[in-house]
Amino acid sequence: MPVTDSGTPGDSDKRVSLKQPPAPGGQAVAPPALEVRDISKDFGNNRALDRVDLRIGHGEVVGLLGQNGSGKSTLVKVLAGVYDPEPGGRLFVGGEEVPLPLAPGQASEIGLSFVYQNLALAPGLSVLENLTLGQRIGGGARAWAPINWIGEHRSAAAVLDRYQVRLNLDRRTGELPPVDQARLAIVRAAEDLRRYRTRSGYKHSVLVLDEPTVFLPAEDIERLFDLIRTVVAEGAAVLFISHDLVAVRSITDRVVVLRDGRVVGEEAAGEIDEEALVDLIVGTPAGQGGPGSAPAEEPPVVQTALAPAEPAGPESAPELGQHVVVEHLADGRLADVSFEIGAGEILGVAGLIGSGAEDLPYLLFGARPAISGTLRLGARTLDAGRLSPQRSVRERIAFVPADRGALGLSERLALWENIVMLVEDEHYRGGVFRRSELVALAREAIARFEIRPPLAHAVTGTFSGGNQQKALLAKWLMARPRLLLLHEPTQGVDVGARRDIYRFVKSAATLNQTAVLWVTTDFGELAEVCDRVIVLSQGRPVATLAGEELSDDAITAAALRQTREDT
Amino acid sequence: MSAPAPVEEARDKEHQAERSAPSALWRAELHRYAILIVFAALIIGFGVSLPSTFLSIGNLSNILGSQAVLFILVMAVLLPTVVGDFVDLSLGSSLGLSAMTLAVLNVQHGWPVLLACLAGIGAAVCVGLVNVFFVVFFDNDPFIVTLGTMTIVQGVIYIVSGSNSVGIVSTNLSNWIFTNEFLSIPLEFYYGLAIFLVVWYVLSFTPTGQKALVIGQSREVARLSGVRVNRQRAWAYIIGAAIAAIAGIAYAGTNGTVDPTAGSALILPAYAAVFLGATAIKPGRINPLGALIAVYFLATGTAGLELLGAQTYFQQIFYGAALVAAITIPKVNRERFFKRKRAA
Repeated sequence: MPVTDSGTPGDSDKRVSLKQPPAPGGQAVAPPALEVRDISKDFGNNRALDRVDLRIGHGEVVGLLGQNGSGKSTLVKVLAGVYDPEPGGRLFVGGEEVPLPLAPGQASEIGLSFVYQNLALAPGLSVLENLTLGQRIGGGARAWAPINWIGEHRSAAAVLDRYQVRLNLDRRTGELPPVDQARLAIVRAAEDLRRYRTRSGYKHSVLVLDEPTVFLPAEDIERLFDLIRTVVAEGAAVLFISHDLVAVRSITDRVVVLRDGRVVGEEAAGEIDEEALVDLIVGTPAGQGGPGSAPAEEPPVVQTALAPAEPAGPESAPELGQHVVVEHLADGRLADVSFEIGAGEILGVAGLIGSGAEDLPYLLFGARPAISGTLRLGARTLDAGRLSPQRSVRERIAFVPADRGALGLSERLALWENIVMLVEDEHYRGGVFRRSELVALAREAIARFEIRPPLAHAVTGTFSGGNQQKALLAKWLMARPRLLLLHEPTQGVDVGARRDIYRFVKSAATLNQTAVLWVTTDFGELAEVCDRVIVLSQGRPVATLAGEELSDDAITAAALRQTREDT
Repeated sequence: MSAPAPVEEARDKEHQAERSAPSALWRAELHRYAILIVFAALIIGFGVSLPSTFLSIGNLSNILGSQAVLFILVMAVLLPTVVGDFVDLSLGSSLGLSAMTLAVLNVQHGWPVLLACLAGIGAAVCVGLVNVFFVVFFDNDPFIVTLGTMTIVQGVIYIVSGSNSVGIVSTNLSNWIFTNEFLSIPLEFYYGLAIFLVVWYVLSFTPTGQKALVIGQSREVARLSGVRVNRQRAWAYIIGAAIAAIAGIAYAGTNGTVDPTAGSALILPAYAAVFLGATAIKPGRINPLGALIAVYFLATGTAGLELLGAQTYFQQIFYGAALVAAITIPKVNRERFFKRKRAA
């Protein structure tokens, strides 16, 4: 039962006037649509949110900014009832206190609605079906009442008209361009809020938009903003979460900056310049790499790399270590990207989501087709548009994808089978597959890569994320790659395994002279492991950082700042 | 920020894996041989109750010989299933088409039997190619496509045969398949055994087989490991169809006359055997040895029931029950059962 329904509006006004501290700027008349006070959230010893206060006034659009890990998503998840905050935090909706923690699903009953980056649309259903999906939930007799499709069609058309969104209601949602899918999701959420306001008689309601613009081209973002303005005009307040400083500055009234779980700044959007905003987000004046961020003790490069299988004869030496050159690589999102990776160098690629950085390893491996570009491995020149995984494996390009379960390892095979997958053919002699040799080889790798428990015959899916990731790395390093492509190689991996993975990749680079491309949104990781980092924005390289200037903050600043210049 | 939760989970999982490792391994061993154990119990049970009829050479020969057509079809069904295309429903029709082509050409057109056999195989391979075209090339759902081709081929069989049984095929063929025996067992059993050995060898002892396995378990992982996924899927359909055609030849040789519905009754038992076999020897994997055991386990069960006087339709009940039991029992004694107990 929603708490807000328990009192009359008059009641709540009284309570608000007692409890509400006078708000700045003479806004004390109406209670804010949403206010949180003293919200904290711990994960183990890690404080993700530290006594966060946030107010969103009626009809206000507030931008929430911060780097990855600053606590933005944690705050959203507390509001959505996904996480329980630490005791002591308070939540006021329309001036009335709502006890925390919220139950999952309770948010919609108190006038909060969320649109996440993945939009939560069913691509196979029609626009109409997606729009009305929320009304189908709930059981009882209503679940058996006939649906009047003609009437629904008519009222849905009216809804779209109200928000000035023109969509064909019978189109399959998956066929819509991304911006229209985003608009559909926003209309659906806004409509939920409007229904809430009519039903309850309250004026407040808050639409939370979590990174709605990341995959959209600049011209489409404007259309999305028109919709947001309509939603605000209808009576909702908006919390807008984004990395995109240009977008935030153009749509929001006020910005709140989170860093390390704390609110570190709160400014009117028109009054702060971008340089100051970047500094607030990053924490140190950008450009001078944070002195405190120097990596902890360098783990010694032990003999963990796969030494060449043959006792390294002099003739095998030139085989190792090849210079990699990528030129004019392009796909839908990347526009003309060129870079080099020296033999034994670890090159990091950074970029916000949607910058195209995450496409790079897939394109260079041939897992997805590129439109154009070349990849030069030593003396060999390959056409990036015609790469295929088969070809790449033959050229000894290794690829560790982010989605380990679906793309990297077969979770139902035994561990040894996954590890030796790429070298099987070398152990097929005289018409027989040398299983015992392969198992022995896998056992060796399990020991060398410290995979625990060291059970070669156990089913791969039963290992922890970190150990699976080590196995995936072992599988590819087994093939003695010339180029190693890594995408989010430490995602969902515990701290110990993360250290181990850094060590294994570093020693592969040093001892085997493998060229490494490391793509992740964890910029701190790039600063720690990479020799050099290039920063992409909107499909183009915009900065290269190396040596002294290479730090978490510098990468973040470069990635953020460049979003501005492009628009 | 979201790191701590996965860390916790990962550690938990690791501990679990370590703690439960020995008992899990022991249980896995038990699962591997569960069907063999039940099989042995079945033989002992029937042997004790029917010492004179069940434990006779005649009965052994009957069990081994009568299942040869099904067993060859099982090997055909196994191939697309291994590479993860879980159903090729048209294989039963391919069997029928091959048998009917052979019969029509041999009986009505007087072709020499060997040539007629080759024509039968050719016809079935064509069906396989059609499947490849629509399933692999156009990336359609194999269930739907092969449902279509199965129906089409069935129609073609009726056209070719004029909706009549066609017989009697050359006794030469019958001699080489059914009548002649080696160690009192019809030769067709040995043909099935030979095909089994080849399939088993390829799947278990060559990199090709290992790759097929990876394709079946995770197609994308295979693709990104450089495996030619579609090529191997295509071969599975084509060779599967060819083996189904051989099953058709065995059918024609065994029965002498070919009925237009030949094969359609065999496809579901064949799948039952393949999936039952996947619970044995290498649990969770489609494997030929498991399938071999499953076929003869089911045949022994039904033969024993028949000797005990049960009606033939009990066969079907036995088949179905064995399949459902085999995939369910390994799950019951794991988490679900214990969880409920703990909760209570």
